[in-house]
Amino acid sequence: MLDGHLLLGWLSFTIIVYLLSAPGPTTAYFGLTGNEPLSILPLNSLPEETMGRAHYKLCDRLKLEKKQRRMCRRDPGMADTLRESIIMSALECQHQFRFERWNCTLEGRHRGNILKRGFKETAFLYAISSAGLTHALAKACSAGRMERCTCDEAPDLENRKAWQWGGCGDNFKYANKFVKEFLGKRSNKDLRARVDMHNTNVGMRVIKAGVETTCKCHGVSGSCTVRTCWRQLLPFHEIGKLLKQRYETSFKVGSSTNEATGEGEISTGRSQQQQQQQQQQSLPGLNDQIPRTMDLLHIEDSPSFCKASKYSSGTAGRKCYKDKNCDAICCGRGHNTQSREVTGPCQCQVRWCCYVECKQCTQREEVYTCKG
Amino acid sequence: MAGAIIENMSTKKLVIVGVTLLLFQALAFMVGGLIAPSPTTSVNYMATKCVDASKHREDTKWFMPWGPNLCDKIRSFDEAMAKRIEANNIVFAVHIPMQNMEMSPWFQFMLVILQFDIAFKMHNQIEEGAVVTVDVGLAYRDDMFSEWKEMVHSVEQRKLHCNLSLPKTYENEGRYYDCDHLPFMELGSVAHKYYLLNIRLPVNERKKVNVGIGEIKDIRLISIHQNGGFTKVWFAMKTFLTPSILIIMIWYWRRITLMTRPPVLLEKVIFALGISMTFINMPVEWFSVGFNWTWMLLFGDIRQGIFYSMLLSFWIIFCGEHLMDQTERNRFSVYWKQVGPIVFGSFCLFIFDMCERGVQLTNPFYSIWASDVGTELAMSFIIVAGICACLYFLFLCFMVFQVFRNISGKRTSLPAMSKARRLHYEGLIFRFKFLMLVTLLCAAMTVIFFIISQVNEGHWHWGDHTVQVSSAFFTGIYGMWNLYVFAIMFLYAPSHKRYGDEQSSGQCITGDAGANSGEDIQLTTTITHVDGPTEIYKMSGKEAQE
Repeated sequence: MLDGHLLLGWLSFTIIVYLLSAPGPTTAYFGLTGNEPLSILPLNSLPEETMGRAHYKLCDRLKLEKKQRRMCRRDPGMADTLRESIIMSALECQHQFRFERWNCTLEGRHRGNILKRGFKETAFLYAISSAGLTHALAKACSAGRMERCTCDEAPDLENRKAWQWGGCGDNFKYANKFVKEFLGKRSNKDLRARVDMHNTNVGMRVIKAGVETTCKCHGVSGSCTVRTCWRQLLPFHEIGKLLKQRYETSFKVGSSTNEATGEGEISTGRSQQQQQQQQQQSLPGLNDQIPRTMDLLHIEDSPSFCKASKYSSGTAGRKCYKDKNCDAICCGRGHNTQSREVTGPCQCQVRWCCYVECKQCTQREEVYTCKG
Repeated sequence: MAGAIIENMSTKKLVIVGVTLLLFQALAFMVGGLIAPSPTTSVNYMATKCVDASKHREDTKWFMPWGPNLCDKIRSFDEAMAKRIEANNIVFAVHIPMQNMEMSPWFQFMLVILQFDIAFKMHNQIEEGAVVTVDVGLAYRDDMFSEWKEMVHSVEQRKLHCNLSLPKTYENEGRYYDCDHLPFMELGSVAHKYYLLNIRLPVNERKKVNVGIGEIKDIRLISIHQNGGFTKVWFAMKTFLTPSILIIMIWYWRRITLMTRPPVLLEKVIFALGISMTFINMPVEWFSVGFNWTWMLLFGDIRQGIFYSMLLSFWIIFCGEHLMDQTERNRFSVYWKQVGPIVFGSFCLFIFDMCERGVQLTNPFYSIWASDVGTELAMSFIIVAGICACLYFLFLCFMVFQVFRNISGKRTSLPAMSKARRLHYEGLIFRFKFLMLVTLLCAAMTVIFFIISQVNEGHWHWGDHTVQVSSAFFTGIYGMWNLYVFAIMFLYAPSHKRYGDEQSSGQCITGDAGANSGEDIQLTTTITHVDGPTEIYKMSGKEAQE
C-alpha cells in the first residue's frame, strides 16, 4: 500500500520535474536544511502586524525559494509559523544531540557543508526540519494564528458553506498537505536529492505515525451511541526522540556511478535487474534488507567530528559527563577536570506558572572538558 | 378468519409490504450515507496565553487570541517568569470558531473538552489527587466588531488524571504527562456566531488552590458540534416521518374504535408505542434554529428515553399476551414485575441526565464527573440502570422461552384440534414468530451497524463517492425503528374481514364466556370475537380428556 503510494509519488515527481524543470538538487530546502544563516532569526517574537503587507517582509527575510515565498505570502501568519518551526527543529536537534560528538551545531558553514554531503547527520537534519514544519503548522492552525487552515478550498464563501455543512478536515491533514507542497516537487535524478527527499518524507511520516486518535462519547446520557474522535500530534520532544532512533539505525545506500555527474544509479550489490525493479519504489540498501519507508537513509559514512573540520569545530573544549560520554566525545584524547564552586538556586518551590522560590546553595561541581 | 391483518393477508401481499418497507429502509441508509456529512465535527484549539496587565481585575475585559484587538501574547512561561508576570494575570484565550468561520444554530450543540499539556519536572511534579481550579468566562457576539457580552462566568474544579509512562528521573524532565481529557463545557444550543473563552488558573498558596499541579505548558481545547448538513438531513427525515407515523396511528385507532369490543391491552400498548414514536419524530428542533432553546438537548434525551422504555414494555407485553397458558392477563398491573425494572431504570437515567444536562442549562461548565461525590452518584445511577436492564432481559428471555415451550406443546396437539381452534392457534403462533423474527432482525441490524460505525473511521471511499458510515448508521437505524413501529401498527391492527360474522359470534361468546367462568377469556380478549365457538370445543375437549 505504502509502496504503491510511493511509486505514484515518484512517478508524479518525474513528470512534474520534466514539466517544470525545477531548480537543481543543490538548492536548499528550508529551515535547518536551507542555506540561510540561522543567526538572523531572533529567538523572541517579532512584532506581530497582521495589517498591510508586513508579513511580506517577513517572508522575504526567510530567504525562500520562489514557490515557497509565494506560499508564505499567501497567509499573514505563515512567516511567523515558518520561523517558529525553524526554532523548534533547531532546539530539538540540539537537545537530541547534546551528548554526541556532533552536537547539532547550526553555524552556517559547518551546517552548509554537512548538507552538501550525505551523512547520517544530513539525513537527520532533513527529517527534523520537515517534521518541525509539519508540527509547527498544525499547532499554529489550532492556535488560530493562520487564516487559511483546515478549510483550504479556494473561494472564501465556499469555505464557509463547507464549514457550515460538514466541518473541515483536521489541522494535521492541512499541515501535511502544505509541507508536501512546500518541500516537495524536486528533481529526483540525482541520488543525493532523492535521498534528501526521502529523509524529508520520513520526517513527515514519523509525525503521521505518531498521531493519536482520542474519542469522546456524547450520546443519550453520555452513552457511546454518538462518538466523536479527533487526532492529536505527539509532543515534538517525542518526535525528536523517534527521529534520533531512526538516525541511529540509518540505512546506507550506495551509488555505482560517479557522483559528480549527478546521475548516480543506485547499487545494491545485488543483481541489476532486481535493482531496476526496486529503484522506482524505494532506495535499496547495501545489505540484503530493503529499507522501509520509515528508515532514514545516508550515502556516506559520517566523519568522526573529533577534530575541527569542514563539518564541525571538533570536540575540543566540549563539556562532557564523566563515566557517561567523556570517552566517546573526547575521542580518546582524555579530559580536563575542573573543580569549581557554583552558587545557584536549589530546593526550588515552583508554582505552575511564573513564580519560583529557591534557596541559594553553594555546591562543588566538577566540570569535565575534552582536551584539545 | 378474523384477527390481526397479518394473519389474513395473503403471502403475496405480505411480500409486497415487506419489499416496500425494505426499499424505504435502504433509502434511509442512503440518505445518511450519501447526502449527509459526518454527524459531528471536532476542532482542536490551542489556547493563546495572554497577559492581563491591569492591576485590578475587570470582568468586562475580554482577551482575544487574534484579530484586530488581540491581546499581549507570551509564547512560553519562561518568558512570563522573566517578565515577572503572575499566574493570576495570565489568561488563556480561545476563540471559537477559527478565523473566517462562524458558528450557526444548525450546529445544535457544542461541547468542549479540556486537555492540559503538563511537562514533567523533578521538583514540580503532579501531586496525588491534584485538582485544578479554573476560573472561566464565556462570552459571545454576533458580529466581528461589537463588544463581547458575557454569557457565563464560573469557577470550576477538575481532577487531574495524569501519569508518566517513564521513570521519574532527571533525564526525562520536559517530557509530557499522559493526561486524560476532562469534560469542560456543554452548550445545548449554538445561537451565536462567535464565542470567546477566557480561562485563568489562579494560584492561592494559602488555600492550596492550583498548587501541585505540575508545570502546565499549554491548554488545549477540543470543541465538538453537530454538522449543519447532518442537522438539515435529520430534520428533513423527521419532518417526513412524523406525518407517516401519525397517519398510520390515526388509521389504527379508527380500526380499533370501529370494533364493538373495547380495545385490549396489547392494542393499547401498540398505540402507545406509536405515540412515543411520534413524540420522538416531531420536528420541534426546527424551533432551535430560530430560538435560543438550550433545553433541546435534554428534551431530546427525554424523548428518546420514553421511546426506549415504551419499546421494551411493548416486547414484554407482547410476549405475555401470547403465552397461551390460559391465564387471564390483559391488565397492565399483571406486568409490574417486568415493567418495573424498565421504569425504575429509565427513571435512574433520567435523574442522572437531569443532574448532568439539567444543571448545564444554568451552568454549561458543570460536570457531574468533576467531583468525587458526583462521580459516585453518577456511577451508582448508571449501575442501577444497568442492573435493571439485565433484570429486564432475563425476564424477557424467560418469557420468550415460555412462549416457545407453549408453542411446541400446542404444535403436537394442533392436528387433533377443530379447524377453528387450530386456525386461531396457528394465527397466534405465526403472529408471535413474525414479530420475534422482525424484532431480532432489527436488533441485530442495530448492533451490527453500531459496531461497524464504531470500528470504521466514519467513512468509506467508494470510487469517487464517500459513504459516511456513521451518518448512515444514524439515519438508517432511526428509519428502521420508525418502519418497525409503522409495520407493527399496520400488520397488527385488527382485521375487519368477515366483519358481519363477528357481530353474531361475538354475541355468542359473551354468553359462553360468562358460562365458562372466564377461564379462557384471554383468548377472546386478546384476539377475536370469532373464537367463541372454539372455547366451547376446547372446554368439551378438556372434559372429554378428564
